[in-house]
Amino acid sequence: MALTDAQRAQLGALADQLIPAGGGMPSASEAGVAGRYLDEVLTSLPDLKAPLETALAAVDGLEPEAALAVLRDDPAAWGVLTAVVPAGYFMNPAIREAIGYPGLERRPIDATAAPDYLADGLLDSVVARGPVYRPTPTD
Amino acid sequence: MEHDVLIVGAGPSGAITAKRLAEEGLRVLVLEQGDWPDYSKATVHREDFPLTAGRDWGWDPNLRQAPGDYPIDDADSDITALMWNGVGGGTVVYAAQWQRNMPSDFRVKTLDGIADDWPLTYEDLEPYYVRVERDFGISGLANDTAFPPGEGPPLPPVPLGPAGRRVAKAHNDLGWHWWPAPNAIATREYGRLHACQQVGTCLQACAYGAKGTADLTHWPRALELGVELRTRARVSELIVRPDGLVAGARYVDADGNEHEARAGVTVLAANGVGTPRLLLLSGDSPDGLANSSGMVGKRLMMHPFGTVVGVFDEDFRAWQGPWGQFIHSLEFYETDESRGFVRGAKWGLQPTGGPFSMTSAYPWGAENEIWGPGFQDAVRGRLGHSTMWGIIAEDLPEESNRVVLDRVNRDADGVPGAKIEYRLSENSRRLVEFHQARAKESLLAAGARDVVVAPFIRSTGWHLLGTTVMGTDPATSVVDAQGRCHDVPNLFVFDGSVWPTSAGMNPTATIAALALRFAEQLIESRREQKVAA
Ligand SMILES: Cc1cc2nc3c(=O)[nH]c(=O)nc-3n(C[C@H](O)[C@H](O)[C@H](O)COP(=O)(O)OP(=O)(O)OC[C@H]3O[C@@H](n4cnc5c(N)ncnc54)[C@H](O)[C@@H]3O)c2cc1C
Ligand code: SF4
Repeated sequence: MALTDAQRAQLGALADQLIPAGGGMPSASEAGVAGRYLDEVLTSLPDLKAPLETALAAVDGLEPEAALAVLRDDPAAWGVLTAVVPAGYFMNPAIREAIGYPGLERRPIDATAAPDYLADGLLDSVVARGPVYRPTPTD
Repeated sequence: MEHDVLIVGAGPSGAITAKRLAEEGLRVLVLEQGDWPDYSKATVHREDFPLTAGRDWGWDPNLRQAPGDYPIDDADSDITALMWNGVGGGTVVYAAQWQRNMPSDFRVKTLDGIADDWPLTYEDLEPYYVRVERDFGISGLANDTAFPPGEGPPLPPVPLGPAGRRVAKAHNDLGWHWWPAPNAIATREYGRLHACQQVGTCLQACAYGAKGTADLTHWPRALELGVELRTRARVSELIVRPDGLVAGARYVDADGNEHEARAGVTVLAANGVGTPRLLLLSGDSPDGLANSSGMVGKRLMMHPFGTVVGVFDEDFRAWQGPWGQFIHSLEFYETDESRGFVRGAKWGLQPTGGPFSMTSAYPWGAENEIWGPGFQDAVRGRLGHSTMWGIIAEDLPEESNRVVLDRVNRDADGVPGAKIEYRLSENSRRLVEFHQARAKESLLAAGARDVVVAPFIRSTGWHLLGTTVMGTDPATSVVDAQGRCHDVPNLFVFDGSVWPTSAGMNPTATIAALALRFAEQLIESRREQKVAA
């Protein structure tokens, strides 16, 4: 089921080309993109495994930079790589925290509050300008 | 005969028709090839939702390949056709941007000298807009200056949000139109709808039951009224009698068994691809059924689409919000020939999504990709700090843009699929370019530090219109102003296939209002209506 250690090492090296350490944050492989979070991504979307393995096999033995150049020209391979890598990276709670992303939250609308644009006159100039449509012609 | 009316398709047009006819005591049967939506898959709070949403709530039937889908060959089309086949139809995944057409949309020939007028006016449709807006729980603010004054939707609009406010101010400075946007999003508890939580996943189904979708707003009541809805019932052809009337339809169930459903009157509500497909599949003539005009399948319109994103210093936390739209602008909607094209487009201001979306080639553009050194700062710069105009452009009807049968690729039951042939016209290209340039000005005026005009992508065919054109002349149109086929007096089309021109608006408000009007007309004329006894 899971990828081999060699495949993971290969993926980690490619992933670090896409997401090197920076901005006070770890690289993709340091964040677990080829480890724990790869497993989570593939559990969520098992259909990604086969195309990922195909992509890795296609560039086996190439240096990461050269490998990336090859994959870039192959839309299917590039698609799977640029799905798996950021998906795994942003699944890591430490990464989400570092970019200030709490995940999707419920933000109920306060329907009782008076709309700000009525209170502060934001719409006034639009209304003052009058109609901006062409009416139905009468023949 | 068990049923008075057979309806093909359980999307909004089919649902509205079924419910209204059942209210009058008509016995209605609806055949729908897909299933009910499974909202347990709307797992918005899971970290993997950006991954699984594409699989579970995808829009492209060719990729999704769900049991209710049929193949659509789009190799010869600049745009791919998108839809959701099941109870609720496209509303299950729609962005809930709820736009009426403007008066000029019904009078394109008279006003702009091109294409055709509709055999009805804005004023004819206005009472039906009001009614469907109540039925779908629409939120918005009445007396938008881009429309004739009148009754607005029942619920207050969604909040402008910090992004909406900022861009609204810029439009005030520019002297450009904007208005709090109309959405099929309940801003408080309303009927069977719950209040929106602004989670921003409208395009991947609403986990909170807050979006006005036909499976929630219409189907429960229609079923209570006695409508019979058969899901996983794929119609393969209409049954044509020797006297030329339609007696109902043949369909295949989930186990592959064939059945016949008979009714006095048949209504197609299968969308701009499904409806012409079914007509082309039916009858003895190689041209299909109801096609003496030769127009069945022709004049396909799908709305070229543009996106312009602005990145700001201000943190809008706009990875979510109603999606939907915060505000809309119709400043450049009406024709101005000095621009080098006719007709126009509607703009809707939207959130841009979570971190995963910040890395994608759309809308950010391959040339702006952020892979490599600086990745994290680039994500932080975009995430929550960006907002985008979605631009819905009007495309003009052209006979060479069309739906035909695909006898090579067939659905799971062996029924031929559809093939679409569609090319962007010069008018469309100029129109989109002009609007992108103005939208860029809008965001720069709002203080964007960076503006990206998204690359053109093919997968934007959310709106499927025009393929059984409505008109008064049987030589040039397929259905009359009642939606009745000129050639077959007990066969009707009540979906967006009947549109003579496409308008530059999200179409569901007008599809819905028109379906309700058609249903009322059918009820009114029922005594004179020819039926297959
Ligand atoms: C991703 C997405 C986003 C959208 N966003 C917006 C938006 O923001 N605003 C807006 O106004 N519109 C939007 N739309 C468009 C909107 O969904 C459609 O306009 C609307 O659903 C059309 O309604 P309809 O009933 O005519 O057709 P549909 O909703 O397409 O329903 C047709 C039904 O017929 C069924 N059917 C077809 N053929 C057969 C057959 N042979 N046998 C049995 N059943 C059949 C289909 O399975 C389907 O359920 C969006 C669409 C998509 C896909
Ligand atoms: S933004 Fe509102 S309507 Fe849209 S999916 Fe979220 S809760 Fe539902």
